[in-house]
Amino acid sequence: MSTVLSVADLRGRIAGWIGEGKVVVAPVEVGGRLLYQALSAASQAVFDARRRPANSIKEFFFPRHEPIFRYRLEGKEIVLSDVAPEEREQIVIAAKPCDAAALPILDHVFNWDFEDSFYTARRARTTVISLACAMEDDACFCTSVGSGPADEAGSDAVLYEVEGGFEGRGITEKGGGLFDRTATVRERCEDATVRSLTVAVRKGEIAKYLEGNFESPIWKDLTLACLGCGACAYTCPTCHCFDIVDEGNAAGGARVKNWDSCQFPFFTLHASGHNPRSAQPQRQRQRLFHKFLIYPQKFNAILCTGCGNCERNCPVGLGVRKVLEAIDGELRRVDEKEPVQA
Amino acid sequence: MTERLRQTVRRLLAEDKVKVVIGYGASKAGTPAPPIFVTRPEDADKLEWNDRCFANLSVYLTRKEVKALGKAAVVVKGCDERALVVLEKESQIDRSALFVIGMACDGVGAPKCAHCQVHVPRFADEVIGTQAEPPAPPNGPNGLDRLMAKSPAERWAFWTAEFSRCVKCYACRQVCPLCYCERCITDKNRPVVIDTSATPKGNFAWHITRAFHLAARCIGCGECTRACPAGIPLGLLNQSLAQATVENFGYRPGMDLAAEPVFGAWSPKDKEDFIG
Repeated sequence: MSTVLSVADLRGRIAGWIGEGKVVVAPVEVGGRLLYQALSAASQAVFDARRRPANSIKEFFFPRHEPIFRYRLEGKEIVLSDVAPEEREQIVIAAKPCDAAALPILDHVFNWDFEDSFYTARRARTTVISLACAMEDDACFCTSVGSGPADEAGSDAVLYEVEGGFEGRGITEKGGGLFDRTATVRERCEDATVRSLTVAVRKGEIAKYLEGNFESPIWKDLTLACLGCGACAYTCPTCHCFDIVDEGNAAGGARVKNWDSCQFPFFTLHASGHNPRSAQPQRQRQRLFHKFLIYPQKFNAILCTGCGNCERNCPVGLGVRKVLEAIDGELRRVDEKEPVQA
Repeated sequence: MTERLRQTVRRLLAEDKVKVVIGYGASKAGTPAPPIFVTRPEDADKLEWNDRCFANLSVYLTRKEVKALGKAAVVVKGCDERALVVLEKESQIDRSALFVIGMACDGVGAPKCAHCQVHVPRFADEVIGTQAEPPAPPNGPNGLDRLMAKSPAERWAFWTAEFSRCVKCYACRQVCPLCYCERCITDKNRPVVIDTSATPKGNFAWHITRAFHLAARCIGCGECTRACPAGIPLGLLNQSLAQATVENFGYRPGMDLAAEPVFGAWSPKDKEDFIG
């Protein structure tokens, strides 16, 4: 048996969770944008399968700023202390599938040669409820990287838009506690939500193309307009670079982890003054290489969910999709010259 | 206007007057026109002019990758052109080595145009188009008036809430034609001047410092507000200082070729009443 939930029903559930002391994250209208934020009231939550928040849910697992330990001077002793972990349960609701799908991808790097206990603790105490997507704009390309509007990866439960409201379906054990795991709503919704997207990037060939084209005029031609800000990386669900800095004074302070971006010139500046990526096209190339060659080689996963946030948030309209389209065009030209034997 | 723009660009490149033209390219309806760099006369047809030409392209004139392309022509709106005046006053560009194509602009939409004072470029080498209608004078209180009508405590609460969304992506700095420092003060780490953390302290320090550095320099193009992925109305900070500059020095950056920059000149008439 399935139950259709209205927005009021969903907000009622959220109010209950907030009442239980849980942190609830959802898309919220703020500053003329739709942004994922921790809710102060259930009424703030927006359930709209046709819009995409300008940020991503990564910051609720990997915050933009996070103290990792504190220090203080006591006499001649330096006393170090751990940061008390946040213990409240967290529920992310109405996440886009292209945001949720980033989590299993990020799990690789945060549990590779070292377990990032801050990230893994947040993952363990968070339940992700996505809202199956019903939008497509010019920046979207989720199906081109193996995801899709009803992708369940990273979600503990999924909400599907149905007539009169939403139906939920539990996927994991955590999600099963909130929504029926045997609901069949997905099958009914899939036709309505899966659309053909514009970019037909051939998965296997992108990495091969990149390997052979480290030096190519394509990088400069495509990325000359890049102004070198971090809007793409900071709104990307999968970009995860951070810097470690000490903040405080002689009496005390903290060692903190702050987001960083490979698009900044100082990201790779050596103490010697040498910068191996001294120009913006090299930095753009690095971003593409990391997502489509380096990360797949290391973890067998593309570091991109095709959400299109990079392009939507770019002040000059660049983005991963545009570069992929150009590469796709190059590959097609090669195909035309050398037809594949049947 | 687009056709006349293309003709001009074709001629400039064919006659080798410039090596590159920085202009706007095609984009799908509803999305911003991307900056493009045209180097061959036959590519002039890639240029567009429409009400989605938001970017202030003068930002590229101080970029080393663009400078390396050779003598440039740049497409500007009236608001953008003010930045060229300031850049020249600050010795960042050689106006004689630059061809300026001015586009008469009916506006590309609020909030960017809310404070526009120049719709038709005045110092360009060639102006294309005429303005259909003079802009309507500002009607009623603008965003800054509404903010300044609040109490200091309310304004503090306003900015605390706005800055809480800042992730320090520095899009505001990177789109700004007047943020051309090779090493920004926030990138200085020996010693650290501004916390790089996106915390209340770090964010207030960053945005207030940036506003101070743009005092009597910001030309009000509104690119910082447009670029902010968190929707923070950053231009309000600069407008507040621009208003103070007008009130105290009668100076509007980029409006008058003869006027000396406030921070670059001293006059016996300068007010001294702030000295206790």
